[in-house]
Amino acid sequence: MDKQSKTIEIMRRIGAPRLERIRITGILQSPDLASLTLLMPGGNNDPSAAVLKLLGTHSINIRFINKYNDSAGNTTLCLCVDAAFLNTAVDLLDTNEKSLNIRDFMYHQRVKVISIYPHKERPRIAERLVTTLRMNGIHILSINNASSVISCVLHSEDVEKAVACLGDAFELP
Amino acid sequence: MGVTETLEIFPLKVLRDLIQLHFLRIPTRPGATRPLFDLLERHNVSVKFLLEGCSGDFNRDLIICIAKDGFALLEPELKEVTDRMQAQALELQPSVAVVRVLGAHFDIRPGTSGLLFGALDQAGIKVFSIATTITSSLCVIPDDQVAAAERVIGRTFAVPKKK
Repeated sequence: MDKQSKTIEIMRRIGAPRLERIRITGILQSPDLASLTLLMPGGNNDPSAAVLKLLGTHSINIRFINKYNDSAGNTTLCLCVDAAFLNTAVDLLDTNEKSLNIRDFMYHQRVKVISIYPHKERPRIAERLVTTLRMNGIHILSINNASSVISCVLHSEDVEKAVACLGDAFELP
Repeated sequence: MGVTETLEIFPLKVLRDLIQLHFLRIPTRPGATRPLFDLLERHNVSVKFLLEGCSGDFNRDLIICIAKDGFALLEPELKEVTDRMQAQALELQPSVAVVRVLGAHFDIRPGTSGLLFGALDQAGIKVFSIATTITSSLCVIPDDQVAAAERVIGRTFAVPKKK
C-alpha cells in the first residue's frame, strides 16, 4: 500500500478531520417567539420607528430586531415578538399597512433565538456558528450580535438539533 | 401600555471611525461566508457589528462594521473575497459609528425599542442598521451624528456618567 492510499484508508476509518472546538461559556435559548419580516421604503421615508412605536403602544414585546437598508432603497425590518402576541401584531400591521407604507410582510409562527456567549467580536465564533448550523441543514432566519452575544433566529423545531450540533462545534464548561 | 418611566441604562458605549461593509445577495450555502471570516481572522480584525438577514430569493445580506485601520488591512483582498462568496455586490458606508445602548431590557419591556428609535428618528439621526437582542441594542449611525445621538439618548433614558 503506498503512502497516499494509507492516508486515505486511515481517514476512512477515523472519519474526516474534526475542527478544534472553540471554548465558549454558554448557549442561551429564548422562549417561543414569532418572527415578522417587513419590507418598507428606506431613506427619509423609513417607517421603522413608527412600526416599533405602534407595537410598543399595544404592549407587544420585541425581543430581537434586525434592521438594514438595501441598495434598492428598501428597509428590511426583522422582529421577534412573544408567540402569544403574533395575531395581535399581524392585525395591527394589516390595519396600518398603508399608513405605515409597509410594502410587504411575512411571518413565522414558532421561532426561537439561540445566543452564544461570549462573542467578543471574534470572527471565528460567528463563522463556526453559521457554518455548523448550515452544514447540518438548519435554516437560519436572521443573525446579529449585541454586546457579548451572537444570536440566530431559528425555527423552533430545529432548535434541539441546533443545540446538539453546536455542542460538537463549541466546548462548553 | 408602553414605557412611561425614564429607564436607567448603562453608560453608552460608542465605537467610532468604523466602516460598514454590506455584502449583498450571498447564496445560502454552508461555508459561503467563510472566505470573509477567514480574512478577518487572519488579520486579527474584530467585528464590531454583525447582522445577517434575508434579501429575498433565498439569498442573504451580510453587514459588518470594522475599524478603519482593519479595513486597510483587508482592502487588497476584498474584491477576491467578495467574488469567492458569490456576493452580488459589496457596498461600503464609510465613517460610521456603533452606539451601544445596554440595560434597557428590550426583551421584557414593550415599547423600549419604539422609544429609542422614535427619539433618534425625530431628531433626524440616520440609522443605517440596528441589531437588538435581549438587553442591548447596537445602532450604526453616521460618525458625525454621534454627539447628537448621545444627546437624544441622554434625554430619553437615564444615562449615568462614566466613571
